[in-house]
Amino acid sequence: MAVKMRLKRMGYKKHPIYRVVVADARSPRDGKFIEEVGTYDPNQEPSVVKFNEEAAKKWLSNGAQPTDTVARLLKQAGIEK
Amino acid sequence: MDKILRQSLLYDFYGELLTEHQKTIYEDIIVNDLSYTEVAREEGISRQGVYDLVKRCDKLLEEYEDKLQLVEKFQHTKQMVADMKRLAKEIFADLDLPDDGAKLDDEALLREKNERMKQRLEDIIAISTEILDTF
Repeated sequence: MAVKMRLKRMGYKKHPIYRVVVADARSPRDGKFIEEVGTYDPNQEPSVVKFNEEAAKKWLSNGAQPTDTVARLLKQAGIEK
Repeated sequence: MDKILRQSLLYDFYGELLTEHQKTIYEDIIVNDLSYTEVAREEGISRQGVYDLVKRCDKLLEEYEDKLQLVEKFQHTKQMVADMKRLAKEIFADLDLPDDGAKLDDEALLREKNERMKQRLEDIIAISTEILDTF
């Protein structure tokens, strides 16, 4: 099963907070996800990026494709496969 | 600022000015973090079509911001309120400072403490004046 690691917007209007989730690539719009592997809160200065490193690495090594933004966050957090 | 964050904020303020079709696609990009290719597949249009539409929406939203500056004012105000909160907390902490054995009637210490609080309160007044003048 092809999976992607993408952001999912939470929070409220004018106050976006993102979850980093692993989800099936085939139905990107349905909002369902397999596992949450991190959070990204851009409202703080500097923005706060948290990852469950073990889970993120596990999914990456299993072929989960991060989106461009998630790839940048992973790099920022120093996480590689 | 992160591109997706910039797009999200612009959309929160001016998104209602886009058409339904534009909104659907723009939300896929900023709420669901979909790639152009994925949106194209979901919508049954070309990737180039999605790219053009998103660029057009970015441009429209930035034009609204140029004219109205609601996002900038919002963020500036938020920053100032955060500064006031920090100052108020500092005053609060100062109130609770132990006197380190110094007597309460130690005039020099009290004067110093008073001076610190006065400075912070003046800062709060200055910031709130600036906020009130913005609107």
